Amino acid sequence: MRGTVAVLRAAMRDATARRAAFWWQISVMVANDLIWVLFWMIFFTRVPSVRGWDSEKVLLLFAVLTTGSGLALGILANCRRIPVLVREGALDEVLTLPVSPLRHLLVSRVDTVNLGDTVFGVVLFLAVGRPTPLRAAVFVAGVLLSTALLASFLVLIGCAVFVTGDGESSGLGTHAILVLSSYPADIFQGATKMLLYTVVPAGFVASVPARLIDRPDLTDAAALVLITGIFAALAWTAFTLGLHRYASGSGWRRS
Amino acid sequence: MNAVAGGVRWFLVPAGMAARRMIADRSGLVVAVFFYLLVSVTLSSLWRAAAGHQGSVAGYSADSLTWYAFAAEAAICGIAVRLVDEIGEEIATGVVTAEMLRPASVVGVRLATVLGRSLTLLGVLLVPGTALAWTIAGPPPGLGPMVALVLPAFALAVTINVIMQHVAAAASFWLRDIRAAWFLYQKLVFVLGGMLLPLEVLPDSLRTVASCLPFMAMAYVPARLAAGHPAPELLVVQAGWLVVAVALAVAVFAAGQRRVEVTGG
Repeated sequence: MRGTVAVLRAAMRDATARRAAFWWQISVMVANDLIWVLFWMIFFTRVPSVRGWDSEKVLLLFAVLTTGSGLALGILANCRRIPVLVREGALDEVLTLPVSPLRHLLVSRVDTVNLGDTVFGVVLFLAVGRPTPLRAAVFVAGVLLSTALLASFLVLIGCAVFVTGDGESSGLGTHAILVLSSYPADIFQGATKMLLYTVVPAGFVASVPARLIDRPDLTDAAALVLITGIFAALAWTAFTLGLHRYASGSGWRRS
Repeated sequence: MNAVAGGVRWFLVPAGMAARRMIADRSGLVVAVFFYLLVSVTLSSLWRAAAGHQGSVAGYSADSLTWYAFAAEAAICGIAVRLVDEIGEEIATGVVTAEMLRPASVVGVRLATVLGRSLTLLGVLLVPGTALAWTIAGPPPGLGPMVALVLPAFALAVTINVIMQHVAAAASFWLRDIRAAWFLYQKLVFVLGGMLLPLEVLPDSLRTVASCLPFMAMAYVPARLAAGHPAPELLVVQAGWLVVAVALAVAVFAAGQRRVEVTGG
């Protein structure tokens, strides 16, 4: 674990080395998020609420989403780059190290632009989330589970590259979970809604954690923990099995 | 006559090649169609849920909002997201200087290429988009006469958008780094262009600003027409913006190329 922390620290130092670029990228992402907040504020001037979601709840959802996705795509940036890494043979150098390959990969690259999301999400929660010790604790727990779930899902679909040889399914899956988790899951109905709580667990990435902050519920919390655990286990298994099929340009394999 | 035909060929050939490349890139098409349908279904679900609460939103029923969402997204998803960035990069790295050696307008050939690709992709997106919107919301309001307005509106929307992205990217002739330009441009189209929400939903002051800018011609106009609001005058507005956009593109590229000739690429 100490090694993982050291790798993460090195990745952070690398990402923040060019201070001006770092702060520029953070600012751009914050501006992007502000546009979405503007969208929701305009939307709710016309519509008081949508299926139980009013402006405050949606902004809470957005705070969870930006913080969680910022951590997953920023701190664990390689979670969505598995297809690229496999296609380029970039796993070779990781396989020579005496560490867990997946854990090392996940923390070895930081994308600064997404850290802007995290900063924005925390500030948004403090501004509109009516933080109390309990709500803040649920926010932190919800964000961490959301991060783990999103990263696990992206690793899982990225592992399709070991079989298909391309990253198409990964691109589609990434689009799907990020777009679908940006909106309250309750706006969808029927099969689509079912999909959001199972195959593409977008409902658990932001809607469920946001609901838990407002109204703590043991069943929702258990479901969130369970689905995160399932996807984490699936991601780990898929990556481990996938490594057996991995062949780089130099033909190295992990036995 | 032959000279004119030869000149036109300079633009038709790259447009045709770009269109064929677009069709040949099957995996790219799958991703584009998937993303378009995903975003359209999501946005239309949001607006349908919103309209369900009050029966309508800003004069749009749930069904017309569905057509609005699918049309607005089609007009935008047909164009590469970071087009401004890509063109700016090619100007900044000197790719454009090689193009200046050709006996044809640099911006003309570039526009022909991007339009060949974008209009082809638009055509591809409209097929599954129309089918899915029809399944969700029933036939488009005022089906027959509206088609005659909507299709030209789509073509004009994409054309104006592509040209204006070239205008924005031309800043690279003077500035070293325009990385944020695509991003700012995209957000302006999202909100002031009516891609995320009909302009009628905006507060009055913002709507006035939006109606004076070219972004509304890129998403709002085809979407408004597809949502069943017969307003042929919107095509005139688009035509006006097309003229402005072409004039701007020709002027800024001419000035930019002069600068390259004087200072070097």
